[in-house]
Amino acid sequence: MLPPLLVAALASTLRMLSAYVLSVLTALVAGVAMARSRAVESVLLPVLDILQSIPILGFFPAALLFFVSALPRGWGQEVAAVFLIFTSQVWNLIFGVYSSVKSLDPSLFDMAKVYRMGRAATFFYVCVPAARNSLIANSLISWAGGWFFLTSSEVISMGSEEYRLVGLGTYIVEAFERGDTVSFGLGMAVLVSIIMATYLLVWNAAAQQALGRRLPSLGPAYEALRDLVSKLWGALGDALVGLSSRLRVPRYAWRAVGAALAAYLAAELALLISGSGGLGAGGLLPTLAAVLAALPVSLARVAAVVALSAALSLAAAYACYRSERAGPAVILAGEVLASIPAILWWPLLAGLAARRPYGPYVVSGVIFLQGSLWYLFFNLMVYGLASLRREVEEMASVYRVRGWWYLRCVFVPFLMPSLAAGALSAWGGAWNASIAAEYVDLGGQAIDLGGVGALMSKLASSGDYAGVTASALLLSLTIVLFNKTFWRRLFKYVEERYGGGVE
Amino acid sequence: MSQPVLSIVGVSKSFRQGRTSLKVLDGITLEVGEEFVAILGPSGCGKTTLLRIIAGLERPDEGQIVIHSKEPRVGFIFQFPTLLPWLTVVDNVALPLRANGMGWEEARERARKYLSLVGLQAFEDFYPRELSGGMKQRVNIARALAVEPIILLMDEPFSNLDPLTAEALRTEILDLWTLKVTSVRAIVMVTHNVDEAIFMADKLVILTPRPARVRGVIEVGLPRPRDRRSAEFQKLEDKVYELLSA
Repeated sequence: MLPPLLVAALASTLRMLSAYVLSVLTALVAGVAMARSRAVESVLLPVLDILQSIPILGFFPAALLFFVSALPRGWGQEVAAVFLIFTSQVWNLIFGVYSSVKSLDPSLFDMAKVYRMGRAATFFYVCVPAARNSLIANSLISWAGGWFFLTSSEVISMGSEEYRLVGLGTYIVEAFERGDTVSFGLGMAVLVSIIMATYLLVWNAAAQQALGRRLPSLGPAYEALRDLVSKLWGALGDALVGLSSRLRVPRYAWRAVGAALAAYLAAELALLISGSGGLGAGGLLPTLAAVLAALPVSLARVAAVVALSAALSLAAAYACYRSERAGPAVILAGEVLASIPAILWWPLLAGLAARRPYGPYVVSGVIFLQGSLWYLFFNLMVYGLASLRREVEEMASVYRVRGWWYLRCVFVPFLMPSLAAGALSAWGGAWNASIAAEYVDLGGQAIDLGGVGALMSKLASSGDYAGVTASALLLSLTIVLFNKTFWRRLFKYVEERYGGGVE
Repeated sequence: MSQPVLSIVGVSKSFRQGRTSLKVLDGITLEVGEEFVAILGPSGCGKTTLLRIIAGLERPDEGQIVIHSKEPRVGFIFQFPTLLPWLTVVDNVALPLRANGMGWEEARERARKYLSLVGLQAFEDFYPRELSGGMKQRVNIARALAVEPIILLMDEPFSNLDPLTAEALRTEILDLWTLKVTSVRAIVMVTHNVDEAIFMADKLVILTPRPARVRGVIEVGLPRPRDRRSAEFQKLEDKVYELLSA
């Protein structure tokens, strides 16, 4: 009999891995389809734009209910958990694949067409290799995002029912509830070790090799893993390419598959909505009015969190940039902190929350930051610092542009495009985190800070799925409205002013 | 004329630009036998569009392309090498074969044969970024020949090379063509370089400015290797320039 901690660690790691593999495959198929087909692009681009910036946690009860009722008991919860982790990883991966295939030289696709390479060969030999580097860069963020949602996916309470899956998140939460400090500490230690190990051995090593960024890493294990993955992937590609060259699937067949898939997804979505109690049901109006009334306070919090995240990330990026020695430490610390699951911050900081009057606000702030800071952090570390050009550094040192002037006229402007991209993700992340940050129920001791997130948390724990889904939709609508007005303008300004690179 | 390899019958093509429609090809009709044809015309006249239509990359609005063969394979030498940076030289050449159902080993074997034909046998395991511009263009040529095409299409294949490399490659293509060591029965080359066209081709097709129509067809008829400074060459050059600027 294996010790429960080991079983929990294995279960969580496996859950993460399946969600990640699912995310990568989805990202490749969806990203390539979007980049290659205008029809798919015009449908999926706006949909993904919405999906990546809405509070996923708010939709989770509805999704959980759907999976639990659609699948045999035991499986439903497991699939729902993997699905939640998946939703925290997949969006930036899809956008990464999409933009790298979209920016490929179009003559490569002419070449593929002239030599009648077919879809499978074009996918495996042209599109996927082109997307590889962006997949690796985005995996740094996605892997942390997955861990962050791990506990939320393992411990879910819906009204009177509570689902708990075997896993590290459950193990740690239960240890805390029992007051078992030793198990709690052990659980946390194992969690942090797994996170550190995966970064050191896999993601950082991959980023170092593929992107040439200096990151703390240990190489050999990654090389073995890379060879294994490329062998498996190569065999899969080879088999599919061989198969499709013999079958010669006609164009309309692909269209039919696409249409069937779209119809299926639409049907599932309709089921999901009707399964959540029907949105047209009466009694929703007061809920929606309450959401609108609670919006301003949450909006103010989210805005403050994004601003603070930007400031902290810039400071960290500058520290990394100035000091060869501090750099790797800052990045590794960021990777581990980014991965510590949302709900674990409550038990970690519970003492503080209970003892001081401002305690709950600090704890809430930490969870908010957890959900948003890291998008900015990784964007600056991976993309931002890479955009600083040696010529400009030399120019600055020749003319002795230093200190404040260097920051203002060189460092920050160069980082602007990645700062803006990170801020947009951070904004979506902060809204999502608001559900965990504004309200928490810790063994009877509830901390309620008000706001939309708190409202939705309370609706979820009272089992009002229709209410949760309706308010999540209303909140999504508000967020998308902001994206289309404020953020779009900001991006345009940043692109025009800072996007060009060195003249 | 020898038996026809390619017939271009009344091909027209327009592109939409916002609300207006821009006609680039207007009723092009052309027979290509077992010969080397160069298509000349002012820049932007639609030469490349015609070549892309022959290759099947674009569809004509009217007219049709007929390749008189049971296996109408074409090879395309792109203006830029268009190699996949993540594949080695030999795999770049082998990929079109593999994607059409040949096993990797057989495809690589065939690729090696054509790489040695363009003098790159020693570089098969290199990656494209490790090669010079001229070598990359040779890989482009080897890839086009390796599919064992009936027709070889070339889109200004020497325009992005330094003059010495370009001249060496012209001679190599001509050698492969005149020695008949490949499966190619007809070559269609698009160029705006009059000198190059007369130096290489059997037949020159001169197009008008947009929308392109066939303004004239000239049989070169000079023995190879051709001397650019010979009187006949110069006379032909004057004649082509006259047609181009008319």
